[in-house]
Amino acid sequence: MSDRELLAQGEDILSREALYIDMRRWKEWIDLYHEDAIFWAPAWRNDEELTENVKREISLFYFESRAGIEDRVWRIETKQAPALWPLARTTHVITNPVFETPPSETEMTIHSAWTCHTYSLRDRSQHAFFGRYEHDFKKFDGDWKITRKKVILMNDYIPAVIDVFCV
Amino acid sequence: MRFADPSQYIMDDPDKGVFRVHRDVYTDQDLFEMELKNIFEGTWVYLCHDSQVRNPFDFYCTKIGRRSVIVSRDENGELHAFYNTCRHRGATLCQTETGNTKYHVCNYHGWAYDAAGKNIDIKDKDQGCYTDAFDEQDHNLIPLPRFDSYQGLIFASLNPDVPTLEEHLGEAKILLDLVAEQSPNGMEVVPGRSDYTYSANWKMQMDNGMDPYHLTSTHTTFMKVVQRRQDGESDNEQVTSPDFRDRFTMAAGMYTFKNGHSMIWNDHPKPETMPFWGMIEDVRKHVGDEKAKWMARSRNITIFPNLQFNDSTSLVLRTFIPHAPNLTEMKVYSFAPVDEPDELRTIRVRQHEDFFNSSGMATPDDTICYFDCQEGYNAFPDDYLQSFERGIGNLIFGPDEEAKKLGFVPETSLLGSFLDQGETSYHGPYREWARLMRAGHNKDQPLAAE
Repeated sequence: MSDRELLAQGEDILSREALYIDMRRWKEWIDLYHEDAIFWAPAWRNDEELTENVKREISLFYFESRAGIEDRVWRIETKQAPALWPLARTTHVITNPVFETPPSETEMTIHSAWTCHTYSLRDRSQHAFFGRYEHDFKKFDGDWKITRKKVILMNDYIPAVIDVFCV
Repeated sequence: MRFADPSQYIMDDPDKGVFRVHRDVYTDQDLFEMELKNIFEGTWVYLCHDSQVRNPFDFYCTKIGRRSVIVSRDENGELHAFYNTCRHRGATLCQTETGNTKYHVCNYHGWAYDAAGKNIDIKDKDQGCYTDAFDEQDHNLIPLPRFDSYQGLIFASLNPDVPTLEEHLGEAKILLDLVAEQSPNGMEVVPGRSDYTYSANWKMQMDNGMDPYHLTSTHTTFMKVVQRRQDGESDNEQVTSPDFRDRFTMAAGMYTFKNGHSMIWNDHPKPETMPFWGMIEDVRKHVGDEKAKWMARSRNITIFPNLQFNDSTSLVLRTFIPHAPNLTEMKVYSFAPVDEPDELRTIRVRQHEDFFNSSGMATPDDTICYFDCQEGYNAFPDDYLQSFERGIGNLIFGPDEEAKKLGFVPETSLLGSFLDQGETSYHGPYREWARLMRAGHNKDQPLAAE
C-alpha cells in the first residue's frame, strides 16, 4: 500500500473521531481506541516547554488505558456533573495530516492540527481550543486502532471547563 | 454601594449565633475596587514558592491585584521583588511568566537592570545631555514595599504599613509548617501548570477551599467514579484516590485564626493511599509524632487572602488573582517533597490530575458552581446568604483539645465528625475582610471640618 493510501486510512479515522465526539456517539468513539491505548495531553512547564516525564510532572490528561476516557464519558452520561450538564456543544476540525516517520502496513503515526470550538449552553459563551495531535495506529485483526493519542493544547489558559471531549 | 460602611455587609453577632454575608460582596464593582486597594494592595499576599525561582537569575512574574510584579533571584541567591515596569517609559519589562536572565533589558529604549533590580545601563547616556537633576533620581526598578518569605512561601505587601509577615501569619504558621515540613529536604512545586479562569468572584474560590459541605453534592460523580474503580466497574487502575464515603464517620473540625486564616480538617480513612505516607517514618523522625499525625489528616488551609492548600487527594497549592467582580484567574500546582521517589511522585501526579486539574473531574464542577452563584446573586441581589452558620451552635472560642495537643491557638474551633460539614471556617476570613475594608473606608473619609 502506498503512503498516500495509508494516510487516507488514518485520516478517515481522525475524521470519524471528530464526528463521533461532536455527535456524542461515545461508544463508537471509544471503539476507535485499543483498550491499552494511552491518552496524553502534557501540561506546559513554562511558556516554551511542555512537560515530558509523566511519572514526575503534571499532565492535563494522562490515561494509561482507554478506561481513563471511559471514566470521563461515564461522568458525562450521568448528567449529574455540574460542569458537564448541560454539555457544551463541540465541533472538531482535524486537518494537515502528515507522516514524520515512514508508515508500515501495520503501524503508523500521523501528526495533525486541530481546533475544537465549544459552545456553553449555560451562558451562551464560545471558546476555541486548538493545538496539535499525534495519533499512533496499529492494526489488529485487519482493523486500525488508535494505540496512543498525544494532544498538545496551545492555549492552556482555560475558561473554567475542559474535558476529553474538548481537545 | 448599598451601605456607606463596608463592614455592614457582614452580619456578625457571636452572642446570637448569627453570621451572614450580603450578596453584594461578590458582585459590587465599588466594593471590588475597595478590595483591590485595601486587601490585595493593602495586606500581605502570596506570590510564589521558592522552588519557582530556585537558581540565581531565575525570575517569576505574577500579579498582586492589578499590579504586575517580578520576583527575581540575584547572583548571590538573594530574592528581590519589584513592579514589572521600566523606570524610563514604563514598558512591561518581563513578558514571560518564568525565565532566567542576568539582565532585564527593556525592549523599548534599552534601559537595563540586573537581577537585584539595579539600573546598570541607560542607553547612550553620555550623549543624553542630562542634568544633575536627572542623576539625582533613583533609576532602579521600584521595589515592592514589603517582601518576605515563610517556609519557602514568598509573600509581599504593597502597603508598607503592615506588621511583619511572621506577625501576619501568627498562629497560622503551624498550618504552613504542616505542609512545608513533609520532607526533611524541602518541598517543591511540581512542573506542569494548570491556569484557568472562572466567571465569578475571587471569594468563591476562597470559600470553596474551606467548604466541606459541598463535597457530597457537587462532587457526587467524582465520588462515584472512585467507587466504580474500587468495585471493578471501571477498568481504570492507575489512580488510587480514596473513597470519600469512608470519611463520613471520621473525626473532623475547623479553625479560624487572627488576620483571616483558616483550616478545616478530617481524619483520613486511608492515609496509606497518600503519597506522603510512603515516607512516613522519615517524617515522624523529622517532625515528631503529633505533627506527623496532623500531616496524615486531610487539611484545607486558607492563608488570607490568596493562598490555599488542600492536602487530601494529594497536596495542591492554589493561588488566585482577581480581575473583576465576576472574573478570577487561578494558578494551581501540585506540591511535593523535592526528593520524592518516582513511585510516590507518580501516585501524587495521577491523583492531582484526577481531581485538582482544571482538566480533572472535580475542579470544573466547583468553578461552574461559582458561576451559578454569581448568576444567582444577580437574580436577587439584596439578601444575606444563609451559608455561614452550620455548626455555629457548637463553636468553641479559642483552642479545642486537638489544637492544644499540637500547641496552637486559633480564635475559634469546631470539633465533630465529617458529616457535620461546618461553615464556621468562613468567619475568620470574612472578619478580616470587614476589618481591612473598614480600615480603608475610615482612612478615605475626608477629615471633619474644624
